Amino acid sequence: MIVKVENVSKAYYKIPVIREMSLDIERGERIVILGPSGCGKTTFLRMIAGFIPPDKGRLVIDGQTVADNGKSIIAPESRQVGMVFQDLALWPHMTSYKNIEFGLKAKRIPKTERKGRIDTILEKIQMVQFKNAYPGELSGGQQQRIALARALVTHPKILLMDEPLSSLDADLRQVLLREILRLQEELAITMIYVTHDREEAFSLATRIVVMKEGKIQKTGTVSQIKEWL
Amino acid sequence: MAKRLTLYITIFLFVGIGFVPVIVMFLKSFFVDDGFSLNTYGTLFQSNREWKLLFNTLSLAGATTFITVLLGVPLGTLFAKTDLPLRRFFTVIFIIPLLIPSYILAIAWFYCLGRAGIVACVLGEATGILTSNLLFSFAGTLFVMVSALLPIVIILTMTYLRMVNPDMEEAALLHCSWPVALRRITLPLISPGIALGALITFILTLAEFGVPSFLRFDVYSVESFTRLSAFYDFDSTTAAAVPLGVITIVVLIIERLFLRRKTFVFRTMGSENEMVIVPLGESKSYFLVVVSILVFIFVIAPLCVLLCKSLSPSAYSEAFIRSTGSIMRSLLYASVGATCLVIFGFFLGYILDRKILRFSYAADSIAVFLFALPGAVIGIGLSGLWNTQGTNFIYTSMVIIIFGYIAQYTALGERVMAATFPYVSRSMEEAAQIAGAGWYRRIFKVLVPLVKRGMIATWLICFIFCLRDVGITMMVYPPGHDTLPVRTFTLMANSPDNVISALCVIMIMITLLPLCGLGLVKKYIT
Repeated sequence: MIVKVENVSKAYYKIPVIREMSLDIERGERIVILGPSGCGKTTFLRMIAGFIPPDKGRLVIDGQTVADNGKSIIAPESRQVGMVFQDLALWPHMTSYKNIEFGLKAKRIPKTERKGRIDTILEKIQMVQFKNAYPGELSGGQQQRIALARALVTHPKILLMDEPLSSLDADLRQVLLREILRLQEELAITMIYVTHDREEAFSLATRIVVMKEGKIQKTGTVSQIKEWL
Repeated sequence: MAKRLTLYITIFLFVGIGFVPVIVMFLKSFFVDDGFSLNTYGTLFQSNREWKLLFNTLSLAGATTFITVLLGVPLGTLFAKTDLPLRRFFTVIFIIPLLIPSYILAIAWFYCLGRAGIVACVLGEATGILTSNLLFSFAGTLFVMVSALLPIVIILTMTYLRMVNPDMEEAALLHCSWPVALRRITLPLISPGIALGALITFILTLAEFGVPSFLRFDVYSVESFTRLSAFYDFDSTTAAAVPLGVITIVVLIIERLFLRRKTFVFRTMGSENEMVIVPLGESKSYFLVVVSILVFIFVIAPLCVLLCKSLSPSAYSEAFIRSTGSIMRSLLYASVGATCLVIFGFFLGYILDRKILRFSYAADSIAVFLFALPGAVIGIGLSGLWNTQGTNFIYTSMVIIIFGYIAQYTALGERVMAATFPYVSRSMEEAAQIAGAGWYRRIFKVLVPLVKRGMIATWLICFIFCLRDVGITMMVYPPGHDTLPVRTFTLMANSPDNVISALCVIMIMITLLPLCGLGLVKKYIT
């Protein structure tokens, strides 16, 4: 088991956003958190990333307790997770290459290894020719690929994705979904994907967690959830 | 850990440099001959003079605010939202008075309306006496204060107008004409900006020392300075400063209650929709004439008077001889001060915007309180605290002036930076954090490059405010450390008019030249 969520709760200004949530995620799984806006799915993802501590409950990543009873024990930079943000958060003052390289530099990976890893990931996402381009010079889909490469290049144990395709048109979304799927299978990485789009959830997930008002309503495989919905 | 440590150290340093002197000064005033006593306050508030000072201070601040808003909002609207010809030129010209010490305007009007001024020379001595009496009165002080602070309301009106989502106005235009849309949609939307402009104008008028002092209009800030410089009586000086502190706190409470929650963000940066411009149509020439008259009265006339008065090589030569050291010191102190203020502003603005510490509002309140407090009062606090044998190395060096700048102007840096940080999505920083970057790497590799424009703007604004400062510097400058505004102010009593005018022109030039240089660099880069 790579992620263990035990009775986790979170409230903002005394309004509960996550209520007593528990979930176990196995290594290599593609979990999709599905739910309407405001159901707490992004909060849940940000708790796993370490940006916000849960008020109650315990979070365990790869056997290590990372947050317990309102206290964040391990900082986001040490949790070995990668994340693709809803707004992608590509740094506009850095080229694609520099954006991807940033995490490797922070982890003090030697230059030759850095270059190797970046070239490999750029090839995997078919973006080699855009490595010197700034985010502002890239299309939405290309930016998406760079954000994905940046999240994956540090070899995280878990990849978190917060509605990363929400701003793209339907055709491009399908193309990128297939690419995400291919990359996840190739790298055998655990993925937690947040979305409100059922079709997206059905095409990606090995398991779907349906959330409503801060609670898990139902967990199951794609076919089980299709039937339940 | 590194993040919290850095932020706590910033707050600690700021409070230590700026707030502690004021608090110590206040507490000291309760102890007379080593015993607790309210005598100083008792004596002070029994005199009728105190009530007159209170009335003068409040009426000047109130009237200045009222007229500034009355003129500034329409002017800001005309410059930002209409097709008025030469509107960029007018904007730049109207801003000049904000960049220079306001007493320079008072000097210019003195040369124009004084007993031996231009008007007296042209229209006769009797008229000169009349205009001089008018200038050295409430009306004259009010007029100069309005011309000095008008740019604040103009700039804020223009800034807030640019943030209005054009869709909101276009939705209204489906049902009504422009004047109605402006009155019922646009102006209510920018009301927080107008209120903020009014508040800043009120506070700056309260704190103003140069203009009332020059025009001999009795207000609290002048009283504090006089008590210290004439009698060197710390206790009564502090007591005289307390009403200003109380008024400042009341104004800040009003800001907290009514303005803080009304900060509208109408549209994000880089929004594709252009601002809707109001066509003036046939009224264009009428508005052009009115604005030209106003710009002439408020800016061009006083500047021309100074230029004409100083037009002789000997005046400039004399002015340079008397002030070269002061010019260099002004530029050095303002640069060091602005750099320190950018550093404080960066971290305090970050705390305020990201609300990561419990004391975010407390630190902000202290910064704004100190900004609103008259420079003379902060100067008294700094002198009282640092004028000891052990801390003489601070009191007798430029450090005391820099401390004064930090105390008074940190709010500027903090607020400009706090307004810049929202344009950098939190996820930018989080993405760096999750990639494994520590706090300092995130600061220098991600945050600083993304907010560098805001930092440059902060530096420039702080540089200008430090450069034009009179209140604090006048109070704390050690011998041999006077700046140009202080030098000009002290030379006024016993120097020829043409030399003083030349000094004022030099002051204006050294303020404007860095800005022009920066404008050219920006144009070149673009």
